[in-house]
Amino acid sequence: MIVKEWCMYCGECAGVCPRNLIEVRELTLKFNEDQCKECSLCIQVCPVKALEEDK
Amino acid sequence: MLIETDILVIGAGPAGSTAAKHAAQGGAGVLMMDKKSEIGAPKRCAEGVSNGGLESLGIEKNPRWITKELDGVRLISPNRTDVWLTSDKIDLPETGCILERKVFDKYMTMDAARAGAQIKIKTLATGMEKTDDGYLVSAESMGESFQIKAKIVIAADGPESRVARWGGLNTTAKPKDMESAAQFEMAGVEMENNNCIEFYFGSVAPGGYAWIFPKGDDIANVGLGILATKTDKTAYEHLLEFVAKNPATQNAQPVELNIGGDPVGGMPKKLVDDNLMVIGDAAGQVNPLTGGGIISGMTGGMIAGKLAAEAISEGDLSRKKLKKYEDECQEAIGKSINKYLKVKDYMLTLNDGELDSIAEAFQDVEFEKVSTTELVQKLVKVSPKALLKLGKLF
Ligand SMILES: Cc1cc2nc3c(=O)[nH]c(=O)nc-3n(C[C@H](O)[C@H](O)[C@H](O)COP(=O)(O)OP(=O)(O)OC[C@H]3O[C@@H](n4cnc5c(N)ncnc54)[C@H](O)[C@@H]3O)c2cc1C
Ligand code: SF4
Ligand code: SF4
Repeated sequence: MIVKEWCMYCGECAGVCPRNLIEVRELTLKFNEDQCKECSLCIQVCPVKALEEDK
Repeated sequence: MLIETDILVIGAGPAGSTAAKHAAQGGAGVLMMDKKSEIGAPKRCAEGVSNGGLESLGIEKNPRWITKELDGVRLISPNRTDVWLTSDKIDLPETGCILERKVFDKYMTMDAARAGAQIKIKTLATGMEKTDDGYLVSAESMGESFQIKAKIVIAADGPESRVARWGGLNTTAKPKDMESAAQFEMAGVEMENNNCIEFYFGSVAPGGYAWIFPKGDDIANVGLGILATKTDKTAYEHLLEFVAKNPATQNAQPVELNIGGDPVGGMPKKLVDDNLMVIGDAAGQVNPLTGGGIISGMTGGMIAGKLAAEAISEGDLSRKKLKKYEDECQEAIGKSINKYLKVKDYMLTLNDGELDSIAEAFQDVEFEKVSTTELVQKLVKVSPKALLKLGKLF
């Protein structure tokens, strides 16, 4: 997952991730990519479009 | 390094701090951690609460965290028909105020500390595993990793709600149940009456509503919540449009951008397990119609904190013992959350034209008090469709 520079670490994406894979630190976002099922729900809810699929 | 505690509260938002305070007052050893370097900042909130709510929690108002006392509500339909619910028109206004969350949240944490809780800031919980007599939580702070052994974990980590899920509770919010919100705090806002909070309904904010909450002088929180399932634009894009078009904000300038999620799908059935409780946004303790979760989350926190201390002193940390929290929460907030879920679902079916005709019908209605319940009761009177869907509930 590509995290854009304007991410504000609000954590909304983490709340909807069905596999609980997103770790939101104060100023970093970490994905457990190995288990990601590419459902895009995290991308969908972000209020500022700060996530992009890493193709 | 291994730290031991009776009760570990993860997340020092309003819900966590309230739980920590009551648990410490109940005589238990309490540790509360938050990943933030500054409790309360950045805020993810429009900062409105009811005075009755603060009172019910035994919290005395402090001028250091109140920015504005409110006198009423203005509701605005898509064609700008407005409904005023102010104290000059209504006998029993339910009064409220606007907080300064950055200060309020810190004060709530200070109260927990004064009650005896230990506080760790800039400390992130990274995982946890079940042991025979509780949980072993992994944490990181300023480059150091360590573990905390707790008899009870209270998950208060907000809309992310990762902690309860580590413990096997199903608190994942679906996108259709998660408001995606964006807000500017602005100066130069020209409200018609800056003693009232304003709600804007309809396609300005698909699946939610837009708001202007005054913070004194010409300052206000101007924001909106949308459901990502109802629009292709982001909350931020909707906010830019709202601010550009609204007469009150055309000359205003932003000094802060806030974003965040607000879970509006109600509480999951299971809020506790052996050695584990979940409270606040993490437990869906939010009014699904208004998105307000400060008072309800703190109410959950109060019930959980008291019971956790009791469980520690009795040495019974089983789900059976902790289940009393589920029952009390259901009574204190769950019933009303369930009712407002139905109202929210109904509101989601209305198009701009229907909202306009409701606002028009409201022009001739006399409101006796300002409360969400009163509004829904009057809605049922003016709209046959609402009567059909909600008549039995209100
Ligand atoms: C834009 C917006 C406007 C809102 N407006 C209102 C309003 O006007 N009135 C109202 O009543 N409600 C409002 N709400 C809802 C309200 O903000 C929340 O209901 C409330 O903050 C919930 O409190 P909480 O303590 O459960 O969670 P939070 O306040 O979210 O606190 C959770 C804490 O946990 C910490 N945390 C998370 N994960 C970890 C971890 N792994 N380790 C350590 N710490 C962690 C976070 O840093 C945070 O401090 C609004 C919400 C939004 C998004
Ligand atoms: S929802 Fe968007 S802004 Fe918020 S933490 Fe996730 S990627 Fe960042
Ligand atoms: S794409 Fe789906 S599974 Fe992968 S991180 Fe996002 S929400 Fe989680």
